[in-house]
This record gives sequence, structure tokens and C-alpha cells, in this order.
Amino acid sequence: MVDANLAKGECTGTIKFTPPLYKQRYQFIKDLVNKYKPKKVADLGCADCSLLWMLKFCKCIEVLAGLDICENVMKEKMHRLSPLPGDYLQPSERTLTVTLYHGSVAQKDPCMLGFDLITCIELIEHLEATELEKFPEVVFGFMAPAMVVISTPNSEFNPLLPGVTLFRHPDHKFEWDQAQFQSWALDAAGCYDYTVEFTGLGAPPPGAEDVGFCTQISVFRRKYPNTGEPINLEKPTENSYRTIFKAVYPSLKDEKYLQNAVVSEVINTAQIITRRLLDSFNSVYKEHSNGLVEMKPDFQLPRYFMRHSKNPSLAEGEKLADDRNMETYVSGNAVYIPLIKIFSIPKVNKLCGTFENLSKLITGKVALSNDGSAVVISTEHEEKENE
Amino acid sequence: MSGRARARGRGQAGRGAVRGGPPPAPAPAALPTGKDYSRSDDSQVVGTFVSEEEASTSSAHGGAARLSQRCDFSAGESKSQGAVLGKGGRTRYDFPDLGINTRKTIAHVRDCKTGSSGIPVKVITNLYSLLLPREWQLYQYHVTFNPEFESRRLRLALLYSHAEFLGKAKAFDGVILFLSQKLENQVTELLTETKRGERVKITITLKSKLPPSSPVCIQFFNIIFKKVLKKLSLYQVGQNFYSPSEPVVIPQHRLTLWPGFAISISQFESRVMLSADVSHKVLCNDTVLEFMTDLYTRCDRARFTETCEKELIGLIVLTRYNNKTYRIDDINWSVKPTDTFPKRDGTDISYVDYYKQQYEVVLSDLNQPMLVSRLKNKQKDSIEPRIVHLIPELCYLTGLTSRARADYRLMKDLVQETRLNPERRQQRLSRLTDNIQRNSEARLVLETWGLQLGCQISLTGRIVPTEKILMQGEMCLPMSASDWSKDLRNMKMLGVPSLDTWLIVCSNRNAEVMKNLLNCLRRVGGPMGFRIEYPKILHVQESTLAFLRALQQHVTPEVQLVMCVLPSNQKDCYDSIKKFLILDRPVPSQCVLACTLTKPGMMMSVATKIAMQIICKLGGELWAVEIPLKSLMVIGVDVNKDALNKGSSVVGFVASTNSRITRWSSRCILQTTGNDIADCLKVCMKGALSKWLKHNQELPARIIVYRGGVGDGQLKMVVDYEVPQLLSSLTELSTNYRPKVSVVVVRKKCIARFFAEADGSLRNPPIGTVVDTEATRPEWYDFYLVSQLVHQGTVNPTHYNVVYDDSGLKPDHMQRLTYKMCHLYYNWPCLHSNCSALCNVRTWKT
Repeated sequence: MVDANLAKGECTGTIKFTPPLYKQRYQFIKDLVNKYKPKKVADLGCADCSLLWMLKFCKCIEVLAGLDICENVMKEKMHRLSPLPGDYLQPSERTLTVTLYHGSVAQKDPCMLGFDLITCIELIEHLEATELEKFPEVVFGFMAPAMVVISTPNSEFNPLLPGVTLFRHPDHKFEWDQAQFQSWALDAAGCYDYTVEFTGLGAPPPGAEDVGFCTQISVFRRKYPNTGEPINLEKPTENSYRTIFKAVYPSLKDEKYLQNAVVSEVINTAQIITRRLLDSFNSVYKEHSNGLVEMKPDFQLPRYFMRHSKNPSLAEGEKLADDRNMETYVSGNAVYIPLIKIFSIPKVNKLCGTFENLSKLITGKVALSNDGSAVVISTEHEEKENE
Repeated sequence: MSGRARARGRGQAGRGAVRGGPPPAPAPAALPTGKDYSRSDDSQVVGTFVSEEEASTSSAHGGAARLSQRCDFSAGESKSQGAVLGKGGRTRYDFPDLGINTRKTIAHVRDCKTGSSGIPVKVITNLYSLLLPREWQLYQYHVTFNPEFESRRLRLALLYSHAEFLGKAKAFDGVILFLSQKLENQVTELLTETKRGERVKITITLKSKLPPSSPVCIQFFNIIFKKVLKKLSLYQVGQNFYSPSEPVVIPQHRLTLWPGFAISISQFESRVMLSADVSHKVLCNDTVLEFMTDLYTRCDRARFTETCEKELIGLIVLTRYNNKTYRIDDINWSVKPTDTFPKRDGTDISYVDYYKQQYEVVLSDLNQPMLVSRLKNKQKDSIEPRIVHLIPELCYLTGLTSRARADYRLMKDLVQETRLNPERRQQRLSRLTDNIQRNSEARLVLETWGLQLGCQISLTGRIVPTEKILMQGEMCLPMSASDWSKDLRNMKMLGVPSLDTWLIVCSNRNAEVMKNLLNCLRRVGGPMGFRIEYPKILHVQESTLAFLRALQQHVTPEVQLVMCVLPSNQKDCYDSIKKFLILDRPVPSQCVLACTLTKPGMMMSVATKIAMQIICKLGGELWAVEIPLKSLMVIGVDVNKDALNKGSSVVGFVASTNSRITRWSSRCILQTTGNDIADCLKVCMKGALSKWLKHNQELPARIIVYRGGVGDGQLKMVVDYEVPQLLSSLTELSTNYRPKVSVVVVRKKCIARFFAEADGSLRNPPIGTVVDTEATRPEWYDFYLVSQLVHQGTVNPTHYNVVYDDSGLKPDHMQRLTYKMCHLYYNWPCLHSNCSALCNVRTWKT
């Protein structure tokens, strides 16, 4: 992605990046996320939340936060960060909370503590001198995430861009050349105990290699390990940001959804086992009744099965208690599938973790045998009423 | 038993060829298409699923269409632009049938359309008043920019940056601006500057002042309320709003239900009101791919693709990666996820890579086929149908498959959850309205526009008198208007032929139950006046083939009726027997399921019902009601959309042939192109009149047409095309033939619900309750009639809209006559929700 194609328009003489640079910048972050698997990611200057929207699909992220000084631009598309109806149908295993804050990167707020990755894509060039001055202290000193990514235009590239006179965007307060950016970044890194690496996106055209990338990027990594707790006691506890959006995604960590998922899986498994059992019985029965035209009605099946299965009937109740651990058995008009057998199904096992948890989750939701050791599936065919 | 498999008019004509597909996800969603799930015999079951009634929408109404498509709404307090409400045309919420004023064309109801007979009863509705300040108006402005900007976002930003608009309620789509407060001047000019320093002149011109009752305003309110519901964390799926975070799972059928609401704002008789009803969205827990895999293990492999298409086409899916629903129009078995499609920027990408890149979704099955959905064109002029390909693995089925629908146990479990009695329904509605009033964000949305949700409306309905049932030589006044089967015991049916030559086909295994049934039939036949001779009995093997062979050998022209005792509820067996006995050897037939005959203690009542069915099939008459109008012909027309084949529909037509309205002639036409129903009505009408003439030696003096199957937005077509066609078919018959004609549009699916208070709790209103005030529309000659009894759940009142009437019948008489018609559905000795005419239409469609 870093060596993205650079096409020099033949006729117009304009430089065009494919995919567009802004997409390359987002992809750069996404690749970084996929590589380092951060759990908590914040985007400072998140604007219309496009990057956050892309990141919400990354399965490693559990906390996603956005901060911007302009509430309106965040609100424009923030609904895209809400869970989709489909997310509720198959809740994900991870938890995910997306929060948007209205506030300034020159101010501290405890909600930004403890992050693994903080991104500042094309942010710093929008900051006033006073804000820029506070920025390193807020981001590296206060927020102190494990990793920070900062991107900004490279002013040396500007002469190659058509129509750019002073800055690339009227709101830019400054645009740095490579030396300026790197010295600023090295200062910050040195001051707050981070390492920094430089890279960029949008390679210069042949012959102009020394101007450097169109977008310059620095990747900071904290040298000291995360203590988990905020180290700085002076850190303010009062909030300076205002939450304008918060979405908690449905997750299997939430017992409500976990229970639904487990109950569905258990019943589905039990139904499949029952169906197989009856099917296999049917085929056996057909062999036996070869030549007979008349079929026995369905409700006789289980009883027949009892005679032919190696499972004991109810009369041998004592023995049953020992044998039933893993064996499905039939009694009356019902099939009994031992819970332990259902627990051995990988999907159920993964959902519940422990057998006790399985029992707890399905109690009251799934029909169980008297001692609670087996799932009961009725084979009785209810008759269709016709009214 | 009777009416077991009433056809739902699902023809299977070939589908149009589908060409290659543009991008799957970025395309705008197609609205779910209209589906008609109505069945004649299980109104109680199906009636509850408001969720399924995603009625098709038609052309939008004037400028308001734009409004709903992409209007930016802002809540006044902040200088914000607010969240975009109508995401790029996603939420087309057309207000059907607005502005069709049929009442003014009907002279005798222009001043008063209410009836008078019956006992007054207090009825609580599901309608809530919308409180507006006196003199409230919506101001519609036209906004131009000089120089002009393409970007809507920029136009919004420029306009909203102006102090004049800070803190005001506003809605702006880039061209049209709505304000709830008037600007000082007719034309306002603003000067502003872009960030780049360009100077821009904005001209805002007042176009119109809209009163709350205007169609644009009504539509506007609907959008506001949509926004309110979103603030309550409800999700829009199809037309309604659901709460996926409170799922109800039915694990044994792998279904999930989302509780929710169907709401709309309309102008009712005297004011603008919000109507709200409970709705449930039914979703399958499985993806379409899992559904296909499961089907593959169950069905005949050789016919898998065919079976799969039959099951899936016409269903609505919800995708996992966006909030859109699509209708499955086809399945493309030759396109695989590894195939590529052109992206918007012109580059090609495979489906697998696209979903991986865009949504971090890894497809597990690279051989799955593609679901094909045709999108509705936003621009009417472009002929090219837009097509999207959807990955089965990423789609969930919504609603029920036909197989699920046929699963009695599934439906029973489902109904358990969705069928709410009046009390519970009211609780849910109260919770919704409480939430609207309490949630500060939701309330703010309303308040900025000066709106407030008022209280629940109650009104006075009337319980019209119970009808007398006319039998042979005597008459009875049923104890209960809802079910007079008990009253009928020991009474002779009105006109009964005798059953002399008939056949019973049954499997060897069911010989006993059949014998038992025969005895019972003969026993109940006596008091009814129905003489049943001993039939010829054929014992066969338990296979469809065996049944058919027996029929082929023994059905002769002399046979009056064939009865088949079916061993199981297998549809193909029933279908092939019916097909043979309708097409190949036309003979009336009665199919009975063996299992219905094994219920102890039920035999006599089952036999009674079967006997009545048989009488009808032999052309007999069971009972009648007093019809004070002589020479009245009643016609029922129903149109069902074909679920499989978009655009085609089945038209059923029945017409009475005697003045007692107990005998009917019928016709059923498969209409391949949607719009010329009027033409085939004309043909049917002529046929019906000549039949009447043959039986009565004169043409009917009065004709009442009950027209069902009119979806949202189709009323205009009925009024503008069908009615004139019907009328012209009369004059074409004879120039001086001028019968008095009424045309009534019947709708079973209406949003109105009525509750009656009794003993401190809410009940269904008594049968025969007529509502013709408040909940009706000022521009229509309409009324509601509660004509069926439901034991569980909430009754669906039937809405009758008289769109044409030169009969001069008083509203009271029209209501009473309609009520009488509800008694004449012969499948049950009870009142039915629809007019008999309509029910008979459905019965005849088989």
C-alpha cells in the first residue's frame, strides 16, 4: 500500500493517486491494526468517522473512540457507527463499544486513558500554535497509548500538486517539510519516552524522489510497558469532553445474548441428533418390513427403536443411570440426549466453556429430563388442527 | 378438512432473465415488495403479523417525495446539521392514497356519512392526537445559491452557517427548506463566504404555507416521527421499527422475533393523528447459506436447485453488513464469490476480496451461488433494471418461508409470541408513547417543531343488531352473533340436494376412521335435511399414485362427489388429487385428513362441518339472512399478487346469481401484467350479468361490488380505472340499463385497532361494532366493522371504503348490508371478517 501506484496524467500533467491518498491513509491504519491487534483504538480528529467505521469491522478492537472539535461533522455520518440489525442476530464474541466525544486535543480527559493505539490522521496541521504546543503533552504525556500514528502533508510535495498555492486546504495552519516534521516528532518522542519511525504515502514521481512522500507519517511506540493504571497522579478526573454518541454492540459476553445463542445451539443439536436417530431407525425398519405395503404410524417408532436399540428400557432404570452418560436413549414419545453429549459439540463447548455454565444457561429454557442430565425432544407428532 | 389448502395464487411462470450484477453492497436498497399473505381461513393467525405486511409503495406524492428521500433534519437547539434522516432514498415512505377524495363525488354522504342504528359503545383506539399550536403552519422555501454548488453538503453548511437559522427547527434537502417559523420577508437574500473565500449569495423564497392537513405536511410529520423512533433505538426494517436488542428467540424453529411498531401519521376525520400498532419482525437465525445447506440434506439432490429457488425466491433478506433488505428475485448458480465485479472506480474486484477488504468478512464457502435482487429504479425514466448480487452466507431470511408457514407447530409457537390480546397490546403501545414523551432526545425532536404527542383517542361506536339466520321453513336469532353452529342444530338447511352417487377413497390403514366418519355424516345429515346414500368405497395403498389410479378408474360422469381420506398432510397428494378432479375429470371433491378424524369427542362437529361443505359443493344453500333489497347482485373481487412472479396477479371474481344471495358464480383469471385488472373485471362483469339474467329473467336493479386486495397506493387505480370500466360494462350491455351501483374497497389489513373496556380491562369490541367517526378519513365514505370473533389476540377490524355509490342507500343501510354479507360465508357458521363475497372468492381460487 505504501508503494501505491502513482499515475501521472499524461494530458493534464496532474498527479493522481490510486487508490486516493485518503483511502491509502485509512488502509495504512487498518493494516497496522491487523498487525498489532490493539484492543482500544482512538482516532483524534475523526471528522466524519470514516476511519472509525472501517475499524469497527476489525475483530480485535473492543473499544473505539473518536474525538473531534466539530460536532456537526461527526454527527453527519455517526449513525454508521451504530450496530446493524444483523449484529443482533449473530452477536459477535468480542465486545465493542464505540464512543464519540466532542472536544479538543489540547485538553485532557480521562476517557482517553489506557488506549493501545491513537491515530491522528491529517490532524496537527489544523491546530493553532497554542493547541499544537499542548498536543504532545496531552497525547504522549497524558493519554500515553502504546502506539501513536501521526500523519500530515509534506510541503515539499506541494509544487507537484496542481492548484496548491500556499496550503492544500484553507483550514491548514501550517504545512511542514520533512525536516520540520521529523524534528518535531523526534522531540516529542524523546521527551515522552517513545520511539519513532517515519514513513509515508504517495511516492513522488520519478525524477523528484528527494521531495519525499506526499503524506508523511510517523509511528510512535511507547518504550515503557503499560502499567495498567494511570501513573500520573496529577491527571485530572473531571471530564473536558462531551460524549455525543455511544454504541454498545451486542456481544456474547452479555449473558442475554449468550443464553439465546446457547439455547438455540443446544436445541438445534438435539433436534439434529433426534432426526438422525429416527432416520436411521426408519431405514432399518424399512428393511425389516420389506414387501409390506402398510406403514406403521409414526408414534410407534420410538417403541420399536427401544426394542432394537442396545439401550436399556425404562424397566432397567438402575443400569440406565450408569450408561446414560453419553448415549442417547428413547423413552415413551421422547428422545433423551445427554447434556454431556451436547456439551461435547465444539460449538456448544466454545460458547459455554464449562459444563456448569451450560447447565446454568439452559435451565428453564430447554426441556430437560427430571434429573436435568438430558435434553428431551418430543417425537410425538402433534396433529394438525384445522380451524 | 375443508379449505385446507386454499390456493394463494402462486403461479410459477418463468422469471425474466437476469443479467450480470453491479456491486453488491454500495447500491441502495430495494424496498421489500408487496406480498399478500392473506388467506381466507386463518385470519387470526396471519392477522397478527403486521411485520409481514410490507405493502408495496407506489409513486410518491409531489414535493414531499424529495423530502422523504434526502432531507436533512436538525433539532433546533444546537447549530447542528443533525443526523441525516432519509439516507439517500433508503426510506421511501410514500403516503399512499393521499388526496383521493371520493366522498365529494357521492352526493348523499357529503354532509353525513354516519349510521344510526345499534347500541352505542365506547371504543378505545390505537390513535393518538398530535398536538400543534393553533395556527401552526409549515413554511416551504425554495433556496438557490449563486454561484451554484453541486455538493449538497456544502449547500447545507453554507445555509446553516447563517445566524437566521441557528436554533430554529429546519429541514433542508439542498433545494427545499422547511421551517416551522416564518422568515420576515417573502424573499430573503443572504451573503456568505466559503472556506476558500468565495462569496456566495443565497436566495430563500417562500413557496407555500402548508396547513397540518396538507399531504406534504403529513409526510413531513411521518419523517419526524421516524426520527423520533430512531432516537428510541428502534431500527427500521422494511416499513416498521423494531428493537433487535430485545429479541425473542424460538430456538426449536431457529427463529428470532424482534418486537416493534408500525406507526403512521394521517389526517383522520377531524384531526391529524398518530396511529401505532405492535408489529413483530420474524427472522431466521440461519444465514441463507445455512438454509440452503440444510435444504440440500433434506431434499432430492437432483431437484435441489429447483427446490431451492422455489423456497427462496420472493423472500426478503437482511444483509449482515448494512441495514438494508433485499428481495430475492433469482438465484444465479453460475456466479461464485471468487468471480469479480467492477467497482465504482472502474477496477474489478472479486466478491471474496471485496467483503474481506470492506467488512473484514471471510467467506467460508467459495462455491456458494449468488442471490440476485433487482432494485427499484429511483429514476422512473431509466429502463435498465439495476441488479445486485448478494452472498447467501451474508444474508438472513426475514419473514417465513412457505415451508415454515405450512408447519403447524412452528406457526403455533410463533403465534404464541406474536398474538397479543388487547390488554398486552395496549401495554406495549403505552410503553412506546411513554418513551416518546419521556426520552429527552425524542421529545426534543418533536418540540423543536412545536409538536407534541397527545393522548389516546376514544370514540363512540355502535353495535349493530344481530342478524336473523334464515333456515328452511324457520328462522333463528343466534344466541351469539359470532357463532351460530349450536343454534343450527336440528334445523333444516335452506336448500339441500341429496347425495346419491358418490365415492370415498381411503387408504387401507384408515378404513376404520373412514367408516366412522361415514356413519357420523349420515347421522348429522338427517336433521339438516341432507340425505346421504351409501357411497362406493375404494381402499387403496397409501400413495398418491394409488389414490390417483383409483380415481381414474372409478370417477364417472354420474359421480356427484368424491371424498378422499388423506393419510397425511402432504401437499403434493392433495394437489394432485385436486388437480385431477378439477382439470381432468371435473367432479366436486372433499378431502379430509385422517388425523382430524381420530380426535375423540370431536367427530360429530367435524362431520357437521364436512356435511355443510359437501352441501355447498353440491350447489346447495345452507342459510340466508334477510336482504331487504330486491334484485340485488353482490360481487366480490379479490386480487392476490403472485409472490413468485412480480407483476402478475390472480384475480378472483364471484357474483351472486339469486336475490337471496346464496348462490354464486365464479371466475378466476391469472393476470400476467399488473395493471389491466380493470379489463378482466369487465369480462367477468358481463359474464356475471348474463348468468343473473339466465337465472332471474331480468338484470339486477342494484349491484354492490366488494373489492379486496387493494394495496397501499392502489386506490387511485381502482377509482380512476376500475370503477369507470365497471360502469361502462353495464351501459355497453344495454343503453337503457342503469342499475344502482356501489363499489366498496375492503381492507383487512388496516392499522386501526379498537378495544372495548369491560370489567376494568381491555377486550376486543363486541362483534358487530361499527366505527364511522374519528378513526375514519374525511375525504372518504368509509367505516370499520368488527365482524369476527377472536378468542386469542386482538381483532382486526375490517375497513370498508365506499369509493363509488349512486345507490342512494343511507350509510346506516350500507353498513347493515355489509354486516349481513359477513354472515354468508359457508365454510363456518359464524361471522367472518370479510364479506362473504370476498371469502367465496378465495375459496373458489382453489
